[in-house]
Amino acid sequence: MASSAVRMDLGDIQGDILRAYGNDYDCTSYAFVRIECPPQQARAWFSGLIDHVTTAEPWPDQAKPLTTLNVAVTAAGLRALGVSEQGVGSFSDVFRSGMASRSELLGDVGPSDPATWEEGLGSGDAHVLLTINAQQTSDHQRALGKMKDAMDAAGGLRIVYQEDAELLPGSREHFGYADGFAQPAIEGTSDDKARGGGVPLKKGAWRALAPGEFILGYPDEDTRVDPKRRLPNAPVDPLGRSGTYMVWRKLYQDVALWRRVMRDAAKHYEGGDEHKLSAKVVGRWTNGAPLVKYPDTAPERYGSKAAGANDFRYGSDRDGMCCPVGAHIRRSNPRDALGFEGHLSFRHRMIRRGMPYGKALPEGVLSDDGVDRGLVFVSFQASISRQFEGVQVQWCNAGNIFGLGHDKDFLLGDPRGRGKMTIQGSPPFFLSPQEVFVRTRGGEYLFVPGITALAALADGTAG
Amino acid sequence: MSVHAAPVGPITATGTQQRNVDGQAIAITVFSTIKWWGRPFLPVLFLLTRRFPALTRILRELSFIHFARWSVVRRIPYNGPPQRKGRLRYPHMYFESNFNGGWEEYIDAFSHILTRGMTAFWGSSYGFPKPLPTAPFKKYIQDNETEADHYYSTYPEATSTIVQRALALDAKLAPLKRDAERMDPDAFAAAYRTFLTDVQDCL
Amino acid sequence: MGSCNVSGQAYAFMAMTPVKPGEEDALTDYLRGLRARGPSPLAKLPRTHLGRFVIVKDFHNDPSWKQRKEEHLDLPYLIFTSNFDGDLDSYLDELCETLAPEAEEIWGRCVGCPETAKGAALKAYLKHNQIDTGIFFAAYGQATVGTVKRSLSQRERMIDFARTSQGLEPDALQQAFLREFGGKR
Repeated sequence: MASSAVRMDLGDIQGDILRAYGNDYDCTSYAFVRIECPPQQARAWFSGLIDHVTTAEPWPDQAKPLTTLNVAVTAAGLRALGVSEQGVGSFSDVFRSGMASRSELLGDVGPSDPATWEEGLGSGDAHVLLTINAQQTSDHQRALGKMKDAMDAAGGLRIVYQEDAELLPGSREHFGYADGFAQPAIEGTSDDKARGGGVPLKKGAWRALAPGEFILGYPDEDTRVDPKRRLPNAPVDPLGRSGTYMVWRKLYQDVALWRRVMRDAAKHYEGGDEHKLSAKVVGRWTNGAPLVKYPDTAPERYGSKAAGANDFRYGSDRDGMCCPVGAHIRRSNPRDALGFEGHLSFRHRMIRRGMPYGKALPEGVLSDDGVDRGLVFVSFQASISRQFEGVQVQWCNAGNIFGLGHDKDFLLGDPRGRGKMTIQGSPPFFLSPQEVFVRTRGGEYLFVPGITALAALADGTAG
Repeated sequence: MSVHAAPVGPITATGTQQRNVDGQAIAITVFSTIKWWGRPFLPVLFLLTRRFPALTRILRELSFIHFARWSVVRRIPYNGPPQRKGRLRYPHMYFESNFNGGWEEYIDAFSHILTRGMTAFWGSSYGFPKPLPTAPFKKYIQDNETEADHYYSTYPEATSTIVQRALALDAKLAPLKRDAERMDPDAFAAAYRTFLTDVQDCL
Repeated sequence: MGSCNVSGQAYAFMAMTPVKPGEEDALTDYLRGLRARGPSPLAKLPRTHLGRFVIVKDFHNDPSWKQRKEEHLDLPYLIFTSNFDGDLDSYLDELCETLAPEAEEIWGRCVGCPETAKGAALKAYLKHNQIDTGIFFAAYGQATVGTVKRSLSQRERMIDFARTSQGLEPDALQQAFLREFGGKR
């Protein structure tokens, strides 16, 4: 049963983690800063910066700020800010190794190999990530300007990489699918989202997840079953508390290739229904309606925010006849699909806050226009290896746990171009070739400190 | 330069040393020291588990193990000096498994899903914390685990699930292979369609 | 006693042999170096599904465990386990014949191993040091290595066939099937 309600210190946690800022914030910039001055000088700049950081405290509707600012650091960034080796050593192994060093494991090989990444990413040069969200372009430009001015005034700071992202109409991503609305339900924060967002229990019930799965310093799912109520491992105080780990990945999407492959493959599929075949790959129709609930045709409208919209599970569709076993959303969030009352999946949830980037490829265009477009993937989790990497490695890049042999998530592609996807049916349909639809253009593992931790970093009193 | 075949499948062997891995197969080797009451208890447990295969049903359902074994070492065979002669003070339990997937996922599954089974098999071992919470249990396994010095699978890229599905496919394909020649094309096409629908989870 | 080692037609063998003093490092290096030098010697024993060599230095003793007395191994021990098809005696015969050069490097470094680590003498040594299995779990214990490999290869071909034959007319489909799967075992 639910443990006693955990009170979150919202003023100490950065914003956009527990609750999304929301779709009012159309434009986002991610600026990776390299510190090229001594730690003391960097900390002076950092000190001024963190005064403006947005917390998780709720806003009254009328008082929504025009822009928000959030700050994250890499392991190299911690060192550049003067944190001791001992302090840095208290962070997770995986965070300290960095995403680029995990490339073989993550499937970032061939065209996604770190050697091909954008300059400034994965090279140890990214120290501090500033994320600026804005409601309107004018505010966005102003905020970016202020940020750059502050950096120039401080000196010894350089933006090594910047990505500007913008919502597409209808909250779609570039392959055309409504995305981002199914998030984990967190006890004490979003219990109302437990139906569909939480842990699937017997008899159709759900429960929210322990907050420590996403924010350090709080009880996680292991704490719940521990008579000693031990909290999960976290970086040394005051750095760990109220913080979380962040995964940032720039994923290029070859939209023209996707459209061409699906068009060609559909020729042998159910009377050429490309729309349906594509939905089978994703697990949702383009408007976001889940296939498992709407297996034959998309409903005319699908309100992703409507009560119960996310309340579905796969138990009644074990064979994948409605939603294929290897469909993208079923792989990345299996819910009850792995059986055993969700125990193989409940500790592998992530909060996702990504944004599409780049101009959309106009409808019906099947040849590449050379424009850089795709998804900035952002996730927050207490453990990068268990939550992000676990899903990427065991569920997306592999199929064994689902009984799919070596089949990988068709949507993401196979660098060797040799894969296939079984679309379950009577008879089944075998979809191939699995081209490289998505390419990793760069990424970083970061830590998002709590507000007190940010102040300690700025003061030089953090470990 | 190794003539070992280039891997076909993705890298899924996470959280374990490289020497414990051959393709998709992962080795885990654990020795634990058994308390006095494990001496009579474990043989009974083994006997019951052998007699009642239903007890290993969950293990089969989880499907990620090729072969696993538990053995109690009561005495080590004597081979002359400089080996020390004499009985062991305690019995020791040897556990090994050949499995697929990530180490962490494997141990998590044991913690949460095989909780009773884990307690039954390791409850009589010194130092064994309960299977839940998972963190101390994982630490216990890590502390008592020994990395293999050499590990071998004759079909390294095949997971246990793939093997089982391949065997199931073979059984279902046999009748079709046997009858295919004799059927007229339309009958064959219908039979093939039925067959494919039946074996789609094997492919 | 023998039946605990068996599941279906699969056999679980384990030998635990003491490593000669001073030989542990050489044995460790030899075993760890096998991968880099080529296929595993166990590949020469086609009835082997999975096998391993593990050197155990000592039992784990932890003061927090309330174990009244510590227990230590007198020497490091080499554990060899194999999961293979069929009868133990014939498997050991094969091993002691085919793996003679490797056996010298491996069991030759263990206490009590016969002067020449091969043949009947080596077999007797391994059997003497056999540890019986308490419980053996085999996911597909009824299938031999040969059956497994044939089924795996057939599965690959069926996946390819299923993919490429989509959309074929019945006539062409049947012809293609017969070409690929022969219509006989």
